[in-house]
Amino acid sequence: MTHKIVIIYQSLLGIYGDAGNGKVLAKRLQWRGEPAEVVTVEPGQPVPSDGLVYLLGGGEDWAQVAAVKALSATEGDGLRTGLDRGAVLLAVCAGYQLCGRSFTVGDDELVHPGLGLLDIETRRGNERAVGEVLSTGTLPDGSTTTITGFENHGGFTTLGSDATPFARIEIGVGNGTDGFDGAIQGRVLGTYPHGPLLPRNPELADGLLEWALGRKLEALPKQVVNAEHETLRAQRFQVVRTTKNRAEQTR
Amino acid sequence: MRASIVDTIRRHLAFGLGNAAAWASRIAGRGSGASIKGMVMRKIYPELFDRLLTGKRIAVVSGTNGKTTTTHLLSAAMREALGESQVVTNPDGANLREGITSALSTNPSAPVAVLEVDEQVVPDVIAKGHPETLIMLNFSRDQLDRHHEINALGKKWRRALEQAGQNAPVVIANVSDPLVAWSAAPAHKIVWVNLGTDWSADSALCPGCGAMLTHLDGRWDCPGCELTEHPADYWVDGDEVVAADGRRWPLQLQVPGRFNRGNAACALAAAVEMGIDENAAITGMRRVESPAGRFAIGVFGNTRARLVLAKNPAGWAESLLVMESDPVILAIDSLIADGTDVSWMWDVEYEKLAGRRVICTGPRAADLAIRLSYAEVDHEVIPDISEALNGPFDGTVDVLATYSAFLRLCRLGGIELS
Repeated sequence: MTHKIVIIYQSLLGIYGDAGNGKVLAKRLQWRGEPAEVVTVEPGQPVPSDGLVYLLGGGEDWAQVAAVKALSATEGDGLRTGLDRGAVLLAVCAGYQLCGRSFTVGDDELVHPGLGLLDIETRRGNERAVGEVLSTGTLPDGSTTTITGFENHGGFTTLGSDATPFARIEIGVGNGTDGFDGAIQGRVLGTYPHGPLLPRNPELADGLLEWALGRKLEALPKQVVNAEHETLRAQRFQVVRTTKNRAEQTR
Repeated sequence: MRASIVDTIRRHLAFGLGNAAAWASRIAGRGSGASIKGMVMRKIYPELFDRLLTGKRIAVVSGTNGKTTTTHLLSAAMREALGESQVVTNPDGANLREGITSALSTNPSAPVAVLEVDEQVVPDVIAKGHPETLIMLNFSRDQLDRHHEINALGKKWRRALEQAGQNAPVVIANVSDPLVAWSAAPAHKIVWVNLGTDWSADSALCPGCGAMLTHLDGRWDCPGCELTEHPADYWVDGDEVVAADGRRWPLQLQVPGRFNRGNAACALAAAVEMGIDENAAITGMRRVESPAGRFAIGVFGNTRARLVLAKNPAGWAESLLVMESDPVILAIDSLIADGTDVSWMWDVEYEKLAGRRVICTGPRAADLAIRLSYAEVDHEVIPDISEALNGPFDGTVDVLATYSAFLRLCRLGGIELS
């Protein structure tokens, strides 16, 4: 059986290279000899219910509103069915916000209802959170991993009692309210760092796959790729820890 | 009388000190010095920007990608017809108020100005310079960690065109870009050009009403409002520009790539609106070789390298198509000018390079290496740019670089920026 990695609404929620997360998940399965493919769905198309991992990425304000509207309709039922069947959803940035109970965007005070998959509320803050982040994430199996990423968001998120914070922030803003970034609830993991989250965090990529598959994966049999990941991570750790003005200088 | 003498003195002082600052900047190896010169001049004589714009026939070029090359193509076209000294331009890509002020001051009496203008500055130039033509090339995501939400930019352009009314420029607009089409709409005359490029990843939603745009048979349409792709007045067919009345002009440009043929079609359309004969315009454009270092051959010891600049996913998509050498060098920086967030790498189809060897260089080479691994593209990492260029290579090696890396390479390779 070919595992499906489903990218939901690339055209609306893919503005920060979010499709990269899909590429990483599919390749890491393929490299272990497990057939996998990336499936991209756009608004107007039904979301397939047989995905292994679903991905929601970052997007502009209007796109976020359009995406939640489309997903609330019957064409989004596949996502809910898939999660009930044991699939996992990784929701990043705008994708994270729209999974919550409600959010606001842009300058207006209008509160948009979200998908209600996460017990979180997001409201626009005064200043955008932009720059490199470093945090310690805890996966549902209790394992922890250091997360390196880049955040760029104007909304700040408060967790309700049904959601568990995902990662304790060392450097960065994250949710902006509790010293954490992201939230986990049911089969959904939401987080702010966008785009190359999984290329920079291969343990998280494998953690998501293992969570969705319900079994452990062997170590990735790619020496060169593993070494490249380590080099990149070491570089990003070093840069983010030695930089004073995060947004201006974390490069 | 006294006021006008003071004015004249301030003007002379601004020119003199501005030139001195530019000279110092060039000696220090910090680029053309145009921006620092303009900054000094505007400090001493704040009205200079407005003054220098007054009384000229102005053609403006703006958009995310292709501004500098298109400005070179259009100014070459105008100069071919009108004479070298009749046209002033900012050839070095310094496109903010400072750079424009500085460029105009090099030939303040030229009756015609062809100006590359930053997207944020366009509304001001429309209001103060009353340009005759405005080329709107494209709007795409570029350094989102600095500029959020490109729709806001389109709104400002619309307002500027509305306020200019009958004084608004004739807009030369890219038919394929919905945000350009929407931004251009208030202009009293629009000349539509199909540039023949196909980046649509940044235009999922209608900028007017927010509905999902549909894409059918290579044309976009909004099901929610009147906005739709307009039939083109000019388009690119192979190496020719074609006008809607059936006339065709072979381009035979020196600058490579289909995107530059599209840029040339826009420049031709603007030249025609400025009253220039098409054949003269084409002859002029054929002289353009390496606008502000783009596509120039740099010499690095025993290595000859062709330098290509790409600043965002749309630019990379087009530029990868003109990469010919094997190996090919990709140089990634992430200074402020490049955008500190390199997530855009995952929007570029590096898979197209499969079968060739890539040398990754620059401060973010490690990010690129991971990207290429997942694209299954053979590569090696040489973080130091000079070392990466050591070779040896068979023939000229192509280097595709982000902005800061590109500037550094121009300096190392002995390439003049204008």
